[in-house]
Amino acid sequence: MSTNLSGKYAIVGVGQSPLGKVPELGPIGLFAVAAKNAIEDAGLKKEDVDGLITRGPDDVYCHHQRVGEALGLNVTFSTSTANGGASQTMAVAMACMAIEAGVCNTVVVGYGRDTWSRTHRNAEAKQAVASSPRTYSEFGSEFGRFGAPVNYAVSARRHMERFGTTKAQLGAIAVAFRNHARKNPHAFMKKPLTLDEYLGARLIVDPLCLFDCSVFIDGAGAVVVTSAERARDLRQPPAYVRGFGFGNRLSGWYNDDNMINTGAKEAGEAAYKMAGIGPQDVDTAQIYDCFTHMVLLQLEDYGFCAKGEGGPFVGSGALEFDGVLPTNTSGGQLSEGHIEGMLQVLEGARQVRREHTPDRQVKDCNIAFVSGHGGNTVCQSALILGREAG
Amino acid sequence: MSEYNKPLPPPTVESEPFWDGCKRHELVVPRCDACLNHWFPPTATCPKCWSTDWTWTGVSGKGKIYSFGVYHRAYHKGFADELPYALVVVELDEGPRLTTNVVGCKPDELSCDMPVEVVFDDVTEDRTLYKFKPVNDS
Repeated sequence: MSTNLSGKYAIVGVGQSPLGKVPELGPIGLFAVAAKNAIEDAGLKKEDVDGLITRGPDDVYCHHQRVGEALGLNVTFSTSTANGGASQTMAVAMACMAIEAGVCNTVVVGYGRDTWSRTHRNAEAKQAVASSPRTYSEFGSEFGRFGAPVNYAVSARRHMERFGTTKAQLGAIAVAFRNHARKNPHAFMKKPLTLDEYLGARLIVDPLCLFDCSVFIDGAGAVVVTSAERARDLRQPPAYVRGFGFGNRLSGWYNDDNMINTGAKEAGEAAYKMAGIGPQDVDTAQIYDCFTHMVLLQLEDYGFCAKGEGGPFVGSGALEFDGVLPTNTSGGQLSEGHIEGMLQVLEGARQVRREHTPDRQVKDCNIAFVSGHGGNTVCQSALILGREAG
Repeated sequence: MSEYNKPLPPPTVESEPFWDGCKRHELVVPRCDACLNHWFPPTATCPKCWSTDWTWTGVSGKGKIYSFGVYHRAYHKGFADELPYALVVVELDEGPRLTTNVVGCKPDELSCDMPVEVVFDDVTEDRTLYKFKPVNDS
């Protein structure tokens, strides 16, 4: 029989590095700054940390060891994750499981990378982005299949033809998140964006245009997870971990109907069950937004609207700050910046801590739903944070 | 004749028979001897029933477009002159889906569920690619 961990653990500290163009720091340095800020935010010390779960650029081997070395940490529990953008929400859950198992007490979870600098830091970096891809994969590269956008373009196309979803509806997602970013001083994209500008933007992989794609920045985010008992004595109001769940349709994005019905369904159902709530109880959602269309799919699969109705739902203004489901209230990866979902974990915690100024704070926020998505498009993790333990 | 300038990842031990089939202008995929499932890309076990007994089997080459995305940005210089070009997911009548290109048809003429059939393109002396073309109703 399973033990329900709902409300037993909490995020007690959040921290981030400088975001945007930070060419003076590499991915490990960015992470270290975020971790330090998260530990300080919690009112804890380095010596209190006995767990570390990290993720960073895929080409950094044993990422957690590099981070641990930079922070001078000796811990009992430590690993790096490999579920792509689903890793960060999953790592918060893993921290709870590890503490429950008694292997550690206080865990730092985070993600950091220097994505902007990797392609802009110097002449060599600029050349790297201008040249052709360095890795090819069989059954795809021969036909011109490169980059991440195509995976979401084919899904969006199928969704459009099956359910009548429109470009303007995808545009409503981009516009809502930009509106939120404009109030976030740390967001990368703060220029106003209108639906007309969205519809006139250059296409990347049709039906996706420039504004359907998240923005690559330098940065890191980290949180500290510990027991609810310990949390009550710390500096910040705890963001209780009320639920989590996972769905990994490893059979493949291009198989069955996995690009329309995603593992978010299983992830959400498990998280709601654990928390004892439903989508109607969620005050704000922080939905993994590598691309606009992925937000739409997840809103359906997490039960905020029915399958096929994501277009009209987002088109109604639901995701705006004053909408029925204020979503990605810091601007999301489409406008705040792409840190593989880690900044959305931070924003979920900040919303239930109610620490924002009124123009950004979701009123009476009790429940924040946070999602992670990624790997090779098929991994989903869901996390429900609460102002109260239960 | 100008040199072929698009990527051609070398076959692996598991995919070599597939590419050999293309060279003969035959589309072959693994078919499970136990449950008759066809699948792609090739792997050591049937993903459906995990049987290790399976056979490279010729398929009809007929199918329909599951979905597609149209590139307006070249990620590789070999495709720069072809923009906009479509990356198409074709579902074979036997079930497996292949990532491919559709020839004889402009990107804006494509639609989901459009019937297509395989054609072979001998792009170099050593390599032949599987592509698809629209099936005429006549």
